Amino acid sequence: MIAVQHLVKQYGKFTAVDDVSLDVQPGEIHGFLGPNGAGKTTTLRMIAGLLKPTGGHVIVNGHDVASEPELAKASLGFIPDRPFIYEKLTAGEFLKFHGGLYGLDGDGVMDRVHEMLDLFELRRWENELVESFSHGMKQRLVMCAAFLHRPRAVAVDEPMVGLDPRGARLIKNVFRRMSERGVAILMSTHTLEVAQEMCQRLSIILKGKIIAQGTVDEVRRLGGADDHLTSVFLRLTGGSALQEIDEAV
Amino acid sequence: MKGAFTYLLLPHLWSSRNRAQRREPGDLTRALLFGGVAIGVFFALFYGAAWLAWQLQDYEELGDYLLRLGLSWIFMTFLAFLTFSGIVTALSTFFLSDDLRLLLTAPIAARRLFYARFARTVVQSSWMVVVFIAPVLLGVGLAQCAPASFYITSALTVIPFAIIPVAVGTACTLLLVNVFPARRARDLLMLMGFLFAASIVVLLRMIRPEQLLRAESLPDVTGFFSTLQSPVTPLLPSFWAGELVFASLKGGWDALHAGALWTTALAFCVGLRAADERWHFSGYSRSQEAPKARFTKFRSLDAIAGVLPLSPVRRQLLVKDLKIFLRDVSQWSQLLLLLALMVIYLYNFRVLDLGRIPYMSGFVKNVYAFVNLGMAGFVLSTVAVRFVFPMVSAEGRAFWLVRKSPVSMHDFLWSKFWTGFVPVLALTETLTIAANELLDVDPFLKIVAAGAIVFLSLALVGLATGLGARYPRFTADNPSQVAGSYGGVAFMILAVLLIIVVIVLLGWPSTTYLYYQLRHRPIPAVRMVMMGLSFVAAVFVSIATWLHGMRSGVRALDAMSN
Repeated sequence: MIAVQHLVKQYGKFTAVDDVSLDVQPGEIHGFLGPNGAGKTTTLRMIAGLLKPTGGHVIVNGHDVASEPELAKASLGFIPDRPFIYEKLTAGEFLKFHGGLYGLDGDGVMDRVHEMLDLFELRRWENELVESFSHGMKQRLVMCAAFLHRPRAVAVDEPMVGLDPRGARLIKNVFRRMSERGVAILMSTHTLEVAQEMCQRLSIILKGKIIAQGTVDEVRRLGGADDHLTSVFLRLTGGSALQEIDEAV
Repeated sequence: MKGAFTYLLLPHLWSSRNRAQRREPGDLTRALLFGGVAIGVFFALFYGAAWLAWQLQDYEELGDYLLRLGLSWIFMTFLAFLTFSGIVTALSTFFLSDDLRLLLTAPIAARRLFYARFARTVVQSSWMVVVFIAPVLLGVGLAQCAPASFYITSALTVIPFAIIPVAVGTACTLLLVNVFPARRARDLLMLMGFLFAASIVVLLRMIRPEQLLRAESLPDVTGFFSTLQSPVTPLLPSFWAGELVFASLKGGWDALHAGALWTTALAFCVGLRAADERWHFSGYSRSQEAPKARFTKFRSLDAIAGVLPLSPVRRQLLVKDLKIFLRDVSQWSQLLLLLALMVIYLYNFRVLDLGRIPYMSGFVKNVYAFVNLGMAGFVLSTVAVRFVFPMVSAEGRAFWLVRKSPVSMHDFLWSKFWTGFVPVLALTETLTIAANELLDVDPFLKIVAAGAIVFLSLALVGLATGLGARYPRFTADNPSQVAGSYGGVAFMILAVLLIIVVIVLLGWPSTTYLYYQLRHRPIPAVRMVMMGLSFVAAVFVSIATWLHGMRSGVRALDAMSN
C-alpha cells in the first residue's frame, strides 16, 4: 500500500535520506525507528508530499506521489509530529473543512465527523475553539482528521508524544482497529515498547540509511540478541553514547 | 463549492467570524481606539483630498493638469508599495504559512491552491492601499461633482491595479525562493525593503522641492513640473489607472486604459499560475530545508560586556539581547532605514537656505527649534515603540527560561531598559544637536533641547519598557506585530501627550528668556522663579513617567510569575 523505493534526500552536500526502501502492506503496522536526526521525519514528509525527494519514488495505493499527487494523497492520511490546526476554528468546523478537502460532501460528512469525534473521545469539545485544547487533545483531533476520509494508508510521525496513558492506549486501540480493517500504517516512534507491542514489521534508520528491516523477531536476531527491543536498538544505533552519559552524570 | 478555490479560504472567514463572536477582555477598548484612529485618518485624507481638488478647480487647465498628474503620482506610489508588499506577503502565504502543511498533504489541485493563495495575497497586500485610496478618490469626486460612474469606475480600476503589481511581486518571490531557501529569502527581502524605502527617499530628494522657495528660481517652475512628470510613464499601470479615473471624473470613459489594465491583470494571473504550477512545490520543498545558518559570532560583544560594571545576570541578558538583535536582519535593517531618514532630515536643514525664507530668521527660527524638539520626540517614540516596547515580548516562548531562573523581574526589566536607553539616547541626542547646529538656534535653546532629550529618553524608554511588560505578546511572529498591538498604540498616545506637555513646559520659559534677551532687558526675579519652576515641572513629569512606567512593568511581570 505504501511503497518507498530508493528514496534519497540531499541538502547541499548533506544526505539526510540515503537510498531508503520499504514496503507497508494493507493491514500492516510498520514501525519506523531511529535516533534523533536519523531521517525519519524527512522520509515521512516525502511520503506525505511535503518535501521533494532528490531521488527515488513513493507509491501510495498504486499512485506515484510525484506524478499523481492528488490520487496518491487521496488515499493517504498524514499525522505530522507538529500538527497544524486553525486555532480559531472549532473542532467540528476544522473536521468539516478537512473533509471537504478530501471531497467529503453532503449530510454524511457530519455523521462521519461525529463518528471520529466519538472514537477519539472529543465529542463534547466539538463546538470549542481549537486554541483552548491541550496538546494531547490537538493530537487526537489531528488523528480524527487523518482517518476522516477513510484512507487506505496512514503515515504517522511520533503519535505518542505528549499523550497521557489513557490517550496513548486509545490511540493504540484505534490503530489496531484500523489495521484490522486493512489500513496500512507506517509509524515512526521513539517508544520502543509501543513498536514491540504494535508493529508487525520494523525498519531502523540510522544516518539516513536503513540498517535493519524485518519482523520484530528478525530485527532482534539481526541485533545479535534475543532480549528486549531497546537493547537491540541501542546496539544497532550505537549505544556507547549511553555509557558516556552515565560517566558524565 | 468544495471544488472551487474559494473553499480553501473558508477557514479564514470562519476564524474571523468566531473571533468576532467570542469577545475577549479589552476588545471594546481596542476597537474604539483603532476605530477612532481609522475614522480620524479617513476623514483627514477625505478632507485633504476634497480641499485640494476644490482649490484646483480655480485654476482651469492648470488645475486639471495638476489633478491628473497627482492621480498618476498617487497610483505610482501605491504601485511600488503593492509590488513590494506582494513580494513579502507571497513569501508568507505561498511558502511559510503553517496551514500549507495541512493543505499540501490533501488531494488539492495545484491550480486550486494557487488561486486561493493568490486571492489571499492580493487582499492582504492591498487592503491598506484601498483604505488610503478610497477617501482620497471620494474626496476628489465630491469636490469636483463627479458623476456616479466615477465611483463605479474607481472601484473597477483599483481591482486590476492591485492584481498587477501583486502578481509581479509574487513572481519575484517564486523566483527568489527557488534560488534561496525561504528563510534566507526573508532576510534578503528585509534588505530589499530597506533599499526600496531608501530609493523612494532619494527620488523625493531628486525633485528638490526646496527650489520652489527660492525667488530667483521661479522661471524654473516648468522644470520642476517636468521633474514631477518624469517618473510617470505611459507604460506603467499607475498611468493607466490615473488616466482612467481622471476620464471618469470628467464624465468620460477611457476604454483604452481600462482594457490595458484588465487584460494585463488577467494575463499576469494566467502567466503566474503556469509558473506556480511548475515551480511552487520545488520552492516550498526548499523552504522546508534548514541548512546550517551562517551567522556572526560577535565575540567582541562578549569582550565589551565583560569590562562593563554589570552583574553576571545583566551582562548575559545584555549580550543575549544584542546578539539576537544583530543576527536578525529584519531588526537591524529597519534601524538602517531609520538612520537613512534621519540623514535626509538633517540634509534638508543643510540645503534649505533659511536666510532667504521670510519669517525663518531670528526669533521664529528659534521657535522652530521646538518644532525640531517635537520631531526628535516623535522619532524617539517611534524607535521606542518599534525596538524597546517589544523587548519583553521578544523573549517569546523562551521566557520560561528567565522565569525559572533565580533572576528577579526587577533586574530583568531594568536590564531591558538600559539596553534600550543607551542607543535611543545616542540616536535622538545626535539628531537634536545636529539639527539645532544646522538651524543655528540660540545657544540657550541648544542646551535646553539637549537636556530635554535626556529626560524625554528616560521617560519614553521607561514607559515603553514598562508597557511592553504589561502588555506582552509572547506568541507574536515579529516585533512589528507587537508594536501594532493594543499596548503599542496606547504607548504612542501617551508618548505624544508627554511630548506635548514637556514642550509646553519648556517652551514658555524659553520664549520668555528669548523675549527679554531680544530686548536686552533683565528678566524680573518673579519671572525667573516661574521659569525655573516650569523647567523643574518638565523634569518632574519625565522622571515620574519613567519610574512609574518601570514600576508598573515590574509589578506586571511579578504578577505573571505568581
